[in-house]
Amino acid sequence: MKTESKLRTIWREYLERSFTITIPVLAILSAFAISGLIILAWGSSPFAAYGALFSGAFGSPAAIATTLQRMTPLIFTGLAVAYGYRGGFFNIGAEGQLYMGAIASVWCAITFPTLPSIVLIPLCVLASAFMGMMWVLLPAYLKSRRGINEVLTTLLMNYIAIQYFEWLVRVDHIQEGITLFGGEIPKWTFINWIGIKDATQPHPKTALLVETSFMPSLKSLFEGKLFTSLFGGTAFYQELLSTPAFGRITLAPFLGLLAVILIYFIMFKTTTGYRSRAVGINPEAARFMGINVKNTLFTTALISGTLAGLAGGMEVLGTQHRMIPNFLVNAGFDGIPVALIGQLHPVGAFLSATFFGALRAGANKMQVITSVPVAVVYIIQSLAIVFAISGTTVDIGSTLKKKRIARETDEKKKLMAVEGEVSNAS
Amino acid sequence: MLLDQLASVLLNTEFYVAIVRMTTPLLLAAMGSILAERAGVVTFSMEAMMLMGTIGGIIGSGVTNNVWMGVLLAMIFGMIIGLIYAVVAVSIGSHQIVTSVGLNLGALGLSAVLYALTFTRGGEIIQTVIKVPSLPFWKVPLLGDIPFLGPVFFNHLPMVYLGYLIVPLVWFILFKTTWGLKVRAVGEHPHAADTVGISVAKVRYAALLFAGALNGLSGAYISIGMLNSYMENMTAGRGFIAYTAIVFGKWQPINVALGTLLFGAADALQLRVLALNIGIPYQFLVMFPYVVTMIALISVVGRASWPAASGLPFKREEG
Repeated sequence: MKTESKLRTIWREYLERSFTITIPVLAILSAFAISGLIILAWGSSPFAAYGALFSGAFGSPAAIATTLQRMTPLIFTGLAVAYGYRGGFFNIGAEGQLYMGAIASVWCAITFPTLPSIVLIPLCVLASAFMGMMWVLLPAYLKSRRGINEVLTTLLMNYIAIQYFEWLVRVDHIQEGITLFGGEIPKWTFINWIGIKDATQPHPKTALLVETSFMPSLKSLFEGKLFTSLFGGTAFYQELLSTPAFGRITLAPFLGLLAVILIYFIMFKTTTGYRSRAVGINPEAARFMGINVKNTLFTTALISGTLAGLAGGMEVLGTQHRMIPNFLVNAGFDGIPVALIGQLHPVGAFLSATFFGALRAGANKMQVITSVPVAVVYIIQSLAIVFAISGTTVDIGSTLKKKRIARETDEKKKLMAVEGEVSNAS
Repeated sequence: MLLDQLASVLLNTEFYVAIVRMTTPLLLAAMGSILAERAGVVTFSMEAMMLMGTIGGIIGSGVTNNVWMGVLLAMIFGMIIGLIYAVVAVSIGSHQIVTSVGLNLGALGLSAVLYALTFTRGGEIIQTVIKVPSLPFWKVPLLGDIPFLGPVFFNHLPMVYLGYLIVPLVWFILFKTTWGLKVRAVGEHPHAADTVGISVAKVRYAALLFAGALNGLSGAYISIGMLNSYMENMTAGRGFIAYTAIVFGKWQPINVALGTLLFGAADALQLRVLALNIGIPYQFLVMFPYVVTMIALISVVGRASWPAASGLPFKREEG
């Protein structure tokens, strides 16, 4: 009898899993189908348009490199939103945290240009993570201690961050009236580096960062001694190195993958993650189980902010190497659909970040080849998120989900050996 | 010197005209959404309704060559978004902010595609936007001739006058009519409202359609009124600002109107201070209202002000 019930659990889990994958996939397919009608109205063939979209995203090494570039910040913001959402902290402010993270990493690279890469890059990454965390501190405090809705506070912090960023990028601080430090501005100050603007560029930009701060590309890694001695003679290796796009693929997406694994681990294998999810499902019940709800919410928010800050750092170190106004249009806001279409699971967030990144990367090619406007991509994303969230909502009523939650609670009860009742907070 | 310059801004009639002009879109949008907010639906999708309003105004006005058809189409487009939002967020009961984020993104794409569909064929512009008829200025007879007050308050686009009327109107609906009572009941305690026979869904649908119409109107004011042209994402986050004003005003129509005035005045001030080139950077002026709102949230608004059922989908308990 025991083996039978075990088989049944496996079968149930399989059904349940397939369900969580089916909903987003169906949502994305229907989004493509409905957007196809718009493309038809436009007078183009949807198949040709989607073909161009796909080849623009995955069709060549250069296309794949672009997709990887586009998806990297989305992985981090998606994880940020997913982790926060699961823990009851709906982080709308990923956008602002991302901008502050980007600022921090630029500051770090300009302030310590003499450090070797191996020290400088981790330092810049840490700086962006720290700044992202700092930017969520106030909303986190207000939410956890004062119960003030985080949606509005994080939204406001976004605008403050974006305007601060704009000020840093656009205003030439050194030439106009900065009189601090008696005119002799030390190199380590914020004021010094933001004064440097690249006059050769059409848009206001900060100067290009030192090359030691660039995230190493796969090419530069593969040119290292270890790989040359291992594969140096093979034709495949030589061909790989001679592909120009290979130099554009940096470590950043792989760090994203690492973050996915790390967050998966934190979310499902540590007490921190467990507490945070318990608070997200039902704070009252979590309190009865002896969880400190306020502290847990606070921690959840900080982790979420850190991830969003990292997104900015990755973009600066991996792709842009400088600050440009609007350089990451909506990557923070897009974290919300990425997380939700990914069913709030780290791996799901990774997959949907790939989907979003591919759409953005392929959109230009679609416009060039079939003259279908890039804006169609927004419609596809929008429909996908609306369908996915509706599909998930309807699914909440289904027995499958209830059973899963009951089962999870059972497991956790055993794990924690604490009696408590967690009910579905829908 | 600096004081002289500031005085020259503050004493200029144009500045006050600009305040009224910049406040109107926020006021219309916020007043439209306040009922839905009070009914317990988070109107984070105002941006989507306004964006569809901008494109509706341009298309209606451009195709029929009649500006009032533009206004009508803008309201219809806004209401369509309101309806979609109602179906997804009220009937299905999806997470309202997530749905809103999706709709905002969709409206951004759809407005751009609709614009291109209407006014271009194969990349060629068949009708330039400049030819689209735009809203006329209405000068109120007699009142419009009063020095200072006349140009500031009584020589504007028609929507501005609607803005003057909408605040007492919304206040009256909300606090003096049965429907307003229903709206508040549904937002505070949907289960109790349901027990006494109020259809929660019906009230929320109606409130969202009202929100869609007024937000669409606000969009039309921006596209065929204030700026008189079309560009992608032309509401530029005004929907979120209006949403912020609602929270800032603690869901009280008159306070919300004052909130929109704050944001409108900051908008008007920015442009003038930019021209003056005084010490305060432009970006910090843009930031200012958000900082004020943040402080207000921390000190005044707090937790208790939110409608109790805000953001929660209503499901009748079975059995």
